[in-house]
Amino acid sequence: MNSPITGIFIVHYNCRKETPYIMVFSSLLFLFLFLPAVLLLYYCSPGKIRNLVLLLTSLVFYAWGEPVYIVIMLISTLTDYGFGRLLERSSLGPTQRKAVVAASIAVNLALLSYFKYADFLIGNLNEWLGTDIPLTELALPIGISFYTFQSMSYIVDIYRGTAKAQRNWIDFATFVALFPQLVAGPIVHYKSVAEQLRSRKVDVALFAEGVRRFVTGLAKKVLLANNIGLLWHTISAADAGTLPVAMAWLGIIAFAFQIYFDFSGYSDMAIGLGLMFGFRFNENFNKPYAAQSITDFWRRWHMSLSTWFRDYVYIPLGGNRLGLRKQLRNILIVWTLTGIWHGASWNFLLWGLYFGVILIFEKWFGLSLLGRSPRWVRHLYAAVLILVGWVLFAFEELPKAGQYLLAMFGLTGQPLWSDETMYFAYTNALLLVVLAIASLPYGRLRQQLAGGLGGVGSVLNLAWCGALFLLSVAYLVDATFNPFLYFRF
Amino acid sequence: MKRITDRLLIGSFAATLFLLSGAFLARPVESFSELENRYLQKMPRLTWDNLLSKKFADEAESFVTDHFPLRADWIGVKSAAERLRLQQENNSIYKGKDGYLFEKFPEPNYEKVKSYVEAVKRLAEKHPDANISFLLAPTSIGMYPERLPWKAPNYPQEKVNEYVGSLLGDSADYLNGFDFLRPHAAESIYYRTDHHWTTLGAYYAYVAYAEQMGWTAAGLDEFQIENVSDTFLGSFHTRGQFGGLKPDVIQKFTSLHPVDSKMHVVDDNTDYDSLYAEQFLAKKDQYPYFLGGVHALSTITSKLDADQADLDKLLIVKDSYAHSLIPFLTKHVAEIHVIDIRFYNGSIAGYMEENGIDNSLLLFNTATFADNGAILKLAR
Repeated sequence: MNSPITGIFIVHYNCRKETPYIMVFSSLLFLFLFLPAVLLLYYCSPGKIRNLVLLLTSLVFYAWGEPVYIVIMLISTLTDYGFGRLLERSSLGPTQRKAVVAASIAVNLALLSYFKYADFLIGNLNEWLGTDIPLTELALPIGISFYTFQSMSYIVDIYRGTAKAQRNWIDFATFVALFPQLVAGPIVHYKSVAEQLRSRKVDVALFAEGVRRFVTGLAKKVLLANNIGLLWHTISAADAGTLPVAMAWLGIIAFAFQIYFDFSGYSDMAIGLGLMFGFRFNENFNKPYAAQSITDFWRRWHMSLSTWFRDYVYIPLGGNRLGLRKQLRNILIVWTLTGIWHGASWNFLLWGLYFGVILIFEKWFGLSLLGRSPRWVRHLYAAVLILVGWVLFAFEELPKAGQYLLAMFGLTGQPLWSDETMYFAYTNALLLVVLAIASLPYGRLRQQLAGGLGGVGSVLNLAWCGALFLLSVAYLVDATFNPFLYFRF
Repeated sequence: MKRITDRLLIGSFAATLFLLSGAFLARPVESFSELENRYLQKMPRLTWDNLLSKKFADEAESFVTDHFPLRADWIGVKSAAERLRLQQENNSIYKGKDGYLFEKFPEPNYEKVKSYVEAVKRLAEKHPDANISFLLAPTSIGMYPERLPWKAPNYPQEKVNEYVGSLLGDSADYLNGFDFLRPHAAESIYYRTDHHWTTLGAYYAYVAYAEQMGWTAAGLDEFQIENVSDTFLGSFHTRGQFGGLKPDVIQKFTSLHPVDSKMHVVDDNTDYDSLYAEQFLAKKDQYPYFLGGVHALSTITSKLDADQADLDKLLIVKDSYAHSLIPFLTKHVAEIHVIDIRFYNGSIAGYMEENGIDNSLLLFNTATFADNGAILKLAR
């Protein structure tokens, strides 16, 4: 006879942690199992096999989150190693060389397009043509947007003669798979690390700089981004039509801070880890929210990507050397691609195009107008445009983005303020102040302080790093919310 | 100086990594966390399937986090840091005034609430000659909104209770918790750190119910009130992880004219001589002291003389609020049947018929009633 009684379970009140499906730097497993193990292995190995150690541990790191798609990364790596060696053969004529480059780009773009954009294309075709092509429903292999771009830059650099092909396949694979930057950049140009692959030296000062960078990045992600992200999560979950004006602004400001500290924090960790192994990667962010124009903003935000598009798309297309019309065309192409790189969805394309149009406007007469305006006007102009941009970025469904913009500009009939807005504002006030200060370019001030304080300064810095690290660990142990926004790449 | 601090930095960074790593690896694996009242992640098994499906990676991460050395201390540090930055809540628990913690109560989905009230009405329809009472008790956030942090968003529970009452109409005898608890709000009728009412709060609910049933409720002076625990830090504390709180006191009301009651738990077919489970007072979650916690179905029989008993049989369909109230009823009802709607899947009306029960008390708190789909089972 069926008993009507179900099993009794213990009702637990602790929120189950949202565990990441890949190994993020900001995870206890990475910090206290993987990293100590790699550091130990690396520094106990003789110099000759250190690249191999890095390669193998990087493969373990990648396989941890992508046990199946690691094959794709290996295929991309092997083919580009082959193409690189092929290009250097003196027996090749100019058309043949071009063919090799085209082949490499084709392979990389094919992989990228298939895994990233196939469903976007299929979905749109189905909508426009009424067809019923089934979706691939494939998951996006982690880091594919980064390592394919990295490989393509390698091949083009060899073709242009600005770098020599890597003969040692272990060294090449290390370059592609290096775990600090494999998953989320910065996109490393081969020529900037070619030397370092062959010989690099780590001294106390370099390693210490790496530790400082890493700890700062970890704190940015865990203490700043994750926490202000909670505010955005709450506000964005509500129906935008019910948001008071101030809350809509508060929300998008929260998002702006979240995405900046999340991404730049991760880049800092990547750069810090690189330094610990003797690599110096290029900077990826330069206080973007201190920008005074959108042109300025894009020279400070995700620099490794914008320079990639400049060097490998804008300039080959002719840049600004083929007349005004071609230049406008080139700008629009580059920005459409930049947008769509961020995600296979119309809102990202729109986001890229939005900036493309603003940049054209600025080049035309915007910058000279701004140049004659007071500084605060320039900052305000940039801030508003950046925030509006983030609305397009944050909502994949364009109607939702539209609704949110209406809320921001008071066009939904909602009041300016509310009790709940006040609550969100004051409970996050301290955090927002810290976020604002951390966004400012205080580099010079800090150098002057360090110079003035001398020995005491370095002790304070030590204590500060320690506190940041321990506090970050505390938040990680407690974490129920630890997403990394740029993982769709 | 910088060289020295650089070395110190590297040294302490490496030391922290290796020390905590070592502490983690050396620790024995625990399976249950008292503090969090839940099972901890077991050691993940390395199989091809687990690896390829990412289940291994997922579980490994949980495993490390769940077994991290000094876990409780780290969590406490985070909670303190949140307070320092003026955050008034943690994990949906507000830290209110006077040491009160509150669980957030958002605006409920009124469609759902309507369907739940309909379920109650359907039960009443199935048993038109039965006497059905419905007691809806607010939770502490409903009773003490003035103790919330400044400007904290909160939906007034009175609205829900009034809505339920108006929708219920005559189908059942409605007891709105606000009516009989508000007059006593200045007393300790709710725990500060837990989601339940205190024994005193349950007492006032008992008085209201007795009055409605036409019984003579025992006065406060007819009880010997003892503090069985003064170390109770309940569910809100577990979830919010706030430090520096004054623990709650759990009181036991023993009648000066005690009644011999025995409890039979049908779930696992066990019998108990007492309605109080002392062993829970040594654990983190002490509320199961009352009735030994949650059971899907149990019966409590009390030795009452024929003229003492106001009622032969009563069925209580409830959530955990009833646990501290039931002992008061043993003086009036010879046979109390207790069903927890969250874990019982049979037909309530059917049970009443099978056991010849004509009187039923539905006892819920507003937070559960507004959001728990299990309520729909009432209509089965």
